[in-house]
Amino acid sequence: MPTQENNDDRIAILQGTLDILILKTLLHGPCHGQGVARSIQRQSEEVLFVDHGSLYLALQRLEDKKLIQAKWGVSENNRKARFYSLTAKGRAELHEKTSQWKRLTRAMGLILEPQENEG
Amino acid sequence: MFKRKRSTEDFAAEIRSHLELEADELRDEGMSAEEARRRAHVEFGSVQGANERFYLRGRIRLVDNVLRDLRYALRSLAHSPGFALTAVLTLALGIGANTAVFSVMNAVLLRSLQVTDPTRLVYFRTSNVPKGTGTISSKETFSYAVYEALREQHSALSDVMAYVPLSVNKVAVRYGSQPEEAEGEMVSGRFFSGLGVRIPHGRGFSEEDEKDHAPVAIISYNYWTRRFARDSDVLGTTLYVNGVGFTIVGISGEGFEGLEAGGSTDFWIPLQNRPELNAYGNAVDDGKIYITNPTWWCLRLIGRLVPGVSKEQAASALNPVFERAAFIGLGSPAAGERAPTLRFEEAKGFPGLSEEYGRPLRMLMTMVGFVLLIALTNVVMLLMARNASRQREFSMKLALGAGRRELLRQLLSESLLLVTAGGALAWVFALVSTRALASWAQIESSLAPDRTVLSFALAILVLAAILFGLAPLRIALAAGPALSLKTSAATSNTEAGRSRAARFMVALQMTLCVVLLVGAGLLIRTLRNLENTPLGLRVENLVVFGLNPHITSVPQGKAFYQNLIGKLREVPGVESVTVMQERIGSWSSNNSAMTVDGRLPDVPNGSSRTVRSNVVGPGFFSTLGVPILAGRDFADSDTPTSPHVGIINEQFAKRFFPNQNPLGHIIGSEYGQYQMTVVGVVKDHKFRSIDEEPIPMAWYEYAQIPIAGRMDVELRVHGDPLAILPSARKVVQQIDPNLPLIKPMTQRAQYDLTISSQTLFARLAGFFGLLAVVLVATGLYGTLAYRVNRRTAEIGVRMALGAGREQVVWMILRDSLVLTAVGIVAGVPLAFGMGRALSSSLYGVQPVDALTYALAIVGVTLVAFVASAAPASRAASVDPLKALRTE
Repeated sequence: MPTQENNDDRIAILQGTLDILILKTLLHGPCHGQGVARSIQRQSEEVLFVDHGSLYLALQRLEDKKLIQAKWGVSENNRKARFYSLTAKGRAELHEKTSQWKRLTRAMGLILEPQENEG
Repeated sequence: MFKRKRSTEDFAAEIRSHLELEADELRDEGMSAEEARRRAHVEFGSVQGANERFYLRGRIRLVDNVLRDLRYALRSLAHSPGFALTAVLTLALGIGANTAVFSVMNAVLLRSLQVTDPTRLVYFRTSNVPKGTGTISSKETFSYAVYEALREQHSALSDVMAYVPLSVNKVAVRYGSQPEEAEGEMVSGRFFSGLGVRIPHGRGFSEEDEKDHAPVAIISYNYWTRRFARDSDVLGTTLYVNGVGFTIVGISGEGFEGLEAGGSTDFWIPLQNRPELNAYGNAVDDGKIYITNPTWWCLRLIGRLVPGVSKEQAASALNPVFERAAFIGLGSPAAGERAPTLRFEEAKGFPGLSEEYGRPLRMLMTMVGFVLLIALTNVVMLLMARNASRQREFSMKLALGAGRRELLRQLLSESLLLVTAGGALAWVFALVSTRALASWAQIESSLAPDRTVLSFALAILVLAAILFGLAPLRIALAAGPALSLKTSAATSNTEAGRSRAARFMVALQMTLCVVLLVGAGLLIRTLRNLENTPLGLRVENLVVFGLNPHITSVPQGKAFYQNLIGKLREVPGVESVTVMQERIGSWSSNNSAMTVDGRLPDVPNGSSRTVRSNVVGPGFFSTLGVPILAGRDFADSDTPTSPHVGIINEQFAKRFFPNQNPLGHIIGSEYGQYQMTVVGVVKDHKFRSIDEEPIPMAWYEYAQIPIAGRMDVELRVHGDPLAILPSARKVVQQIDPNLPLIKPMTQRAQYDLTISSQTLFARLAGFFGLLAVVLVATGLYGTLAYRVNRRTAEIGVRMALGAGREQVVWMILRDSLVLTAVGIVAGVPLAFGMGRALSSSLYGVQPVDALTYALAIVGVTLVAFVASAAPASRAASVDPLKALRTE
């Protein structure tokens, strides 16, 4: 259970990476903001910490860029919520950003752990 | 960018929903409802903070973007400082000149009087004034009897106001002990209240003031500022006008300077009935002043229409009253005499001034519009050339994913920067040149570019910003991302290099330049002709000044001037002295018919019987240096008791004494009061103005005519004419210490005043012609320099393939010359139109003046040559090897 007090080992999400995480989360289907936050935390095994205020601004930014779209709906437990879903443009962006990210992490890995990659 | 923005309320609702969902989930995980809600809040952090960030988000990005765009634009303009400077200066000159002329035009034509509801104010105009009456202006002035009759009529006009100057020029006033002169007017009691002019200090006039001819005065804001340094203690003090004391009771509101054309009234007094305060400073005629003399129509009238009444309705309502009133004191109309009619004219702008300056100003406005068009096309051409050479940059940007919107924004911010800088500079230029123009035009009322002018200039600026921003975009987008893949500058530049739009604009500029040069040439030749017009007299060494002594009887007046002439003759340096009733070269003259040998002369059908006359002193023609063709000049021996004598000019002799010797014949005034024997015939010379045609003239001897009062004194001196004035002033003050010299100046300067509007017109037109040439030259140079620069590789290839340097130079020159030829072919017919429109302003030159046209054509060709020379020589010095290697 995440609490403010015992999460010193959690990592604040790097600027720019939140977008790709949101897009990835939405790949599974439409979801509201709270669900996205929970999902990211859960899938990262509670390592990544999502600042909720930033999350909603990021959602807005993605919406402005037409990568995602939003409409008000009703959650499973009958709460009014704003549901986000991926657009075609967002899907393409996710694809491109994912491959970029993979190249980046590979490159980072090559530098940070050169011995492993020598063979 | 244009989709509806999400509201902050919607965002706040989403956050509320988040907190509820989170709380639900926490409760499902086993937390109490209270604890779950608290935890959800804690987990979220600052809700208000998130809302604020959402609110600021859009705005910060916008400011950021604008700043970034501007920074980028500044950097990119700094890369080509020559281009930026040329564009800004071009704009500043084009827009500045336009604003200045618009300001003056606005003041003269568009700005309404500083009065309440000026749209309902109308000037009285008439035609067919009764025979035997004298007028100041046969269409604009009325008798006191007419004023009295019309003011009683309230059906069509709620107010009728009368006003008349105290003097033709300025009237002698004294405040404290210092004699000076000022422009004063007598006005009716309802003048200020009827016009709705504010009197912020003191009080206005009342109808009692008019009835009692009260000794009170109102001074203008300008006079108060100029003469009294805005001292409010001036209220209640005494201003002496022609020696009569008036208590200053009010100061008029700023901006109101009277209704007289061009001038600015310094003070107003109620209509007076004292002989020494007769209208126009005239001597009392037969014991009658303007109020009692029904044959002297000297009052100007202005009225306020009753709401809902048009000026035509008012005219038809008042005409019956006017027709009766016009003949009060004159008996009944002569058989067959056309009935006088009254009509009304809207009182917008300054009367007279709009007639005198309106047409030239409209022409100037057209010219300045052309200059502005040249300036605008210049900048567009420069921008297009520049952007064409930046095609690869744009293509690269497009290829790298820059949107069309970003490119548009970038171009727009560059234009905006140019236009803002140009506009700011233009405003400074406009301020300075408006002031210069106003003093040149001798419009004394305070002239500054006003708010209308500002919005006009701004409209031009906004238009320019859009025009400049969009014109190059087409080229940038037409380039497309594919172009960046091409490697050779030679291939990527040819399409835009031949841009039809740019060629069209160069031709257009040449066309406008031809029109402007022809206009300027015609007007400058007009001015030359005017300046070189022989006056028919030796004008050098002549100095003139007016005097308005306090005279109560004719003999006293004669004695005063006889005494004065005698004393002035003794002043060292004075060659001769004479006096005259109408100052020569001041536009004024007495026109009437004259009897010849006792009856009005027969004239051939269609020719006029009008004779200009003047009343002058002894030695008049020898002082002026007008050749006497027959007989003699007036002399001291002509006295009231000696036989009355007159002198005529050639025109008079030719028209009324054909094939006779006029000497010894008797001529006289229209009704025969004054008869005199012709003793001299003088050569025709200019009387009223430089550009007048000679007409029959006659001169009376001042000692033999019962007029006295205001006269002008003419001195012929040795050496500098103005240097004699201090000694002349001393002589005058020995006779009367209160007497100022009125408008002292050289006779040459006096004549030059009569062509001041032509002078102004010609100078401005010349200025615009010069401006056009400079702008066209810089524009052409800038465009060609760019083009040659971009074609370096192509030229290199041509030379490598054997093209000679002459061929390269010719290639560049040919282009300019072809466009110039097109411009000339299009410009000459347009210039014909310009010449026709100007024809009424021309003097001694035909609208189709071969020399002017030839000079204009040579002028633009020269401009094209000069502007092309440098780029062409640069093209010729291209080193083919180097040019090809850089690719």
